[in-house]
Amino acid sequence: MSRIPAKLQRWFRQNRQALLWVVISFSCLLAAWQIASMASGGRLQIPPPLEVFQAFFTAFVKPIGQNTILEHAAISLGRVLSGFAVATVVGVVLGIAMGVSDAVYAIANPIFEFVRPIPPIAWIPLSILWFGLGSANKVFIIFIGSFTYITINSYEGARNVDPQLIGAAQMLGASRLRIFTKIIFPSAVPYIFAGLQIALGVSWAADVAAEIIYSQSGVGWIITMGMNNGNYTQIMVGIIAIGVIGYLLSTVMRAVEGRLCRWNRQAK
Amino acid sequence: MEPASQVILQCEHLSRSFRRPDGSMYQVLGDVSFSVHENEFLVLFGPGQCGKTTLLKLLAGLDRPDGGTVKMNGQPVAAPAPSRGVVYQTTALFPWMTVMGNVSFGPLAQGLSKEESRRRAQYFIDLVGLHGFENHYPNQLSGGMQQRVGIARAYCSNPQVLLMDEPFGHLDAQTRYMMEEELVRIWQEEKRTVIFVTNNIEEALYLADRLILLTDCPAVIRREYPIRLARPRDYVDPEFLHLRQEISRQMDPAQ
Ligand SMILES: Nc1ncnc2c1ncn2[C@@H]1O[C@H](COP(=O)(O)OP(=O)(O)OP(=O)(O)O)[C@@H](O)[C@H]1O
Ligand SMILES: [Mg+2]
Repeated sequence: MSRIPAKLQRWFRQNRQALLWVVISFSCLLAAWQIASMASGGRLQIPPPLEVFQAFFTAFVKPIGQNTILEHAAISLGRVLSGFAVATVVGVVLGIAMGVSDAVYAIANPIFEFVRPIPPIAWIPLSILWFGLGSANKVFIIFIGSFTYITINSYEGARNVDPQLIGAAQMLGASRLRIFTKIIFPSAVPYIFAGLQIALGVSWAADVAAEIIYSQSGVGWIITMGMNNGNYTQIMVGIIAIGVIGYLLSTVMRAVEGRLCRWNRQAK
Repeated sequence: MEPASQVILQCEHLSRSFRRPDGSMYQVLGDVSFSVHENEFLVLFGPGQCGKTTLLKLLAGLDRPDGGTVKMNGQPVAAPAPSRGVVYQTTALFPWMTVMGNVSFGPLAQGLSKEESRRRAQYFIDLVGLHGFENHYPNQLSGGMQQRVGIARAYCSNPQVLLMDEPFGHLDAQTRYMMEEELVRIWQEEKRTVIFVTNNIEEALYLADRLILLTDCPAVIRREYPIRLARPRDYVDPEFLHLRQEISRQMDPAQ
């Protein structure tokens, strides 16, 4: 009972300065928003912050359309995580294969370089025709938009292994398989995580775009619905939800990285 | 006393050149031949950048010579193998493995069971004085401690020959003296053939049974000295100082 508050207290004490700046920064944003809302005098529809936050928290119990806001968030997150999971597996396997095998690189790279610059939203129409109107088309768009970042970083990671470490492992009698699993792969992990971090942001953006263009649920849908009904407050509720979820995703990702790459942190 | 022991590693007429960026060749090793006896502590002593690491890599099997051969127990050395252990100038520890992970890597790679590997690793971790640091990552250790891990790791795959490439070169003087003392203690407890590279004359004299003096690039053997001082040695012993002076004079190309 007494341990958690003590920990929390210490955290507050250590981060007091930073917290203060966060409070100031959000206060500025809210003030500007409030002023804009009052100054526009109804010509531009800018609902005041208080109204938007009220609607935001009401949406936790009172559904927007079929679902509460948490359910919409869960639906969107489910799509993102499915697409991201497939992208991670494909990206890591392909990237490392390209890194360790010149043949795989020679074959995969031209295709890859062609696909890479196509923005994920360009795939939306085709994806709807292929996978229908449900979640599957979003998962595909998320995958196609994000796997490239994971592939590139995994490739870089596999290329940048210190050759001396491979030599050291050989001297100690390691087989090729062991060198791959114990030396090449772990040494690529920090690169892979850098890719995952970017890819997760892109996944989220791709999912929201896909939901805005066509969907029947999810946080992107909240926005489109708000637009169709001229409900400005609902649009802003959707935007806040997107911001909060995006922030939580990248925070969780960093925490996972911190756990898995403990060895990579600078000493003390 | 020497002739009784067996030759374990032998190199004949080793040479190695590298291509410069402009395409011209650049000879690093001239024509190097010597043999190493079982349980001997051989020091290769030469100036900086003379090709010591290059020579050691050839002995390890990490690089191939342009000319000449390296033989171990009569068999040509063609590839890296755990019968030769290397301690690196830059430690070359696996940063994502703990001390235990690094030291037990060799026995695990050679197919020993997990328990047996850990047991052996623990023995060598204790031997190098790192008891209690088994679960530390290399970046949590000081330079001297990292080199202790490097020595334990090389020992733990039970090599016949240990190749050490200026393992204490990056340490401060105080730590360096201590590590030299430690190395002699470890070596006396676990006798192995050691080939130790250094460009520090004090270190060379403190450690060597025999000292081979290399020239500047392209490196060839200038002279060989048996060092018969009793162990543990004393850096200010008159005989030690006398040898030091004599070898230093040999090093100076003007003489
Ligand atoms: N793979 C390589 N390709 C090209 N040049 C090389 C290569 N390896 C070594 N050299 C060159 O050979 C020379 C000798 O290098 P080496 O590392 O063997 O010297 P060293 O005696 O170990 O030096 P130090 O005292 O700094 O450890 C250097 O000039 C180096 O640049
Ligand atoms: Mg060197």
